[in-house]
Amino acid sequence: MKDIIRIKSLLSTEIEEVLNQQIKKEAQSASVYLAMASWCDRNGFDNSADYFFKQSEEERTHQLKFFKYVLDMGGTAISPEVTNVKIEYNSFREIFEDALDQEISVTESIKAIATRCYKEQDYVTLEFLNWFFKEQREEEYKARRALELFETIGEEGTGRWEIDRHIPKIHYGSEA
Amino acid sequence: MQVKEVIDNPIFTEVFTTQHGAIYQSDSEGCWYIDFAGKLARFDYRCLLKLKKAINNIDIEQKLMDAQSPDMEIIFICACDDTYVLTLTQIIHFKELLQGTFVMLELNHIIYNRLYRMAC
Repeated sequence: MKDIIRIKSLLSTEIEEVLNQQIKKEAQSASVYLAMASWCDRNGFDNSADYFFKQSEEERTHQLKFFKYVLDMGGTAISPEVTNVKIEYNSFREIFEDALDQEISVTESIKAIATRCYKEQDYVTLEFLNWFFKEQREEEYKARRALELFETIGEEGTGRWEIDRHIPKIHYGSEA
Repeated sequence: MQVKEVIDNPIFTEVFTTQHGAIYQSDSEGCWYIDFAGKLARFDYRCLLKLKKAINNIDIEQKLMDAQSPDMEIIFICACDDTYVLTLTQIIHFKELLQGTFVMLELNHIIYNRLYRMAC
């Protein structure tokens, strides 16, 4: 008897399902960043708005990477529904706190997929995930650095204006 | 295609059988034939996975407890030729048949790997 399922797809149904969940998570992140960009723009933080527009594009790229991988491996990639995206934030600082929380959640989620891959000995998907681990190092670094600006500069007086001015300068240069 | 024709045909391999139904694999067509609820239906790879998901997603316990819930379920799978209208008992039997089938397919995958695909 032929092994039809394996012939048709490299991914197990479980891995396909978690990858589709990740596609949804990345789409959610892209939308949340867009909402953050909107809030920053409305409140006069132009540099931060640009930063979040870029972040949103990056999350969309991540989503498409997962999407195409699932398709390339013979699976069914599901275009996700994104709901409950926050529109209003209480403060400029809250946006960056939420951004870091979001990046941490994405990292943890990818780690959970990797754990699953080890369990199933799906080394092909594990290798694919490596790119994301490196990317998450950068994403978390940038989100953490942005939040640290609130401590180093302070929000009093022209503090928030100064923080916004420094946001575009955050750069992760490690080649390690 | 009649059930007997499929069963007697040497190119069909029985994957899993219960008292209430059976699933056969056709290597040449790369698909499965499900003999259940009085009909024989052809399912390709994607449809079989969708069917499994649709059956597994039915909350049998909730349906049993809910007096308002009808004792029937229509299982319609997008882009598949067949639809099932099943009672809760049939759903339980179908679930058992599909679970057994996927265990056998997984076992076949392991055997295939060990026999033909591994260098050592």
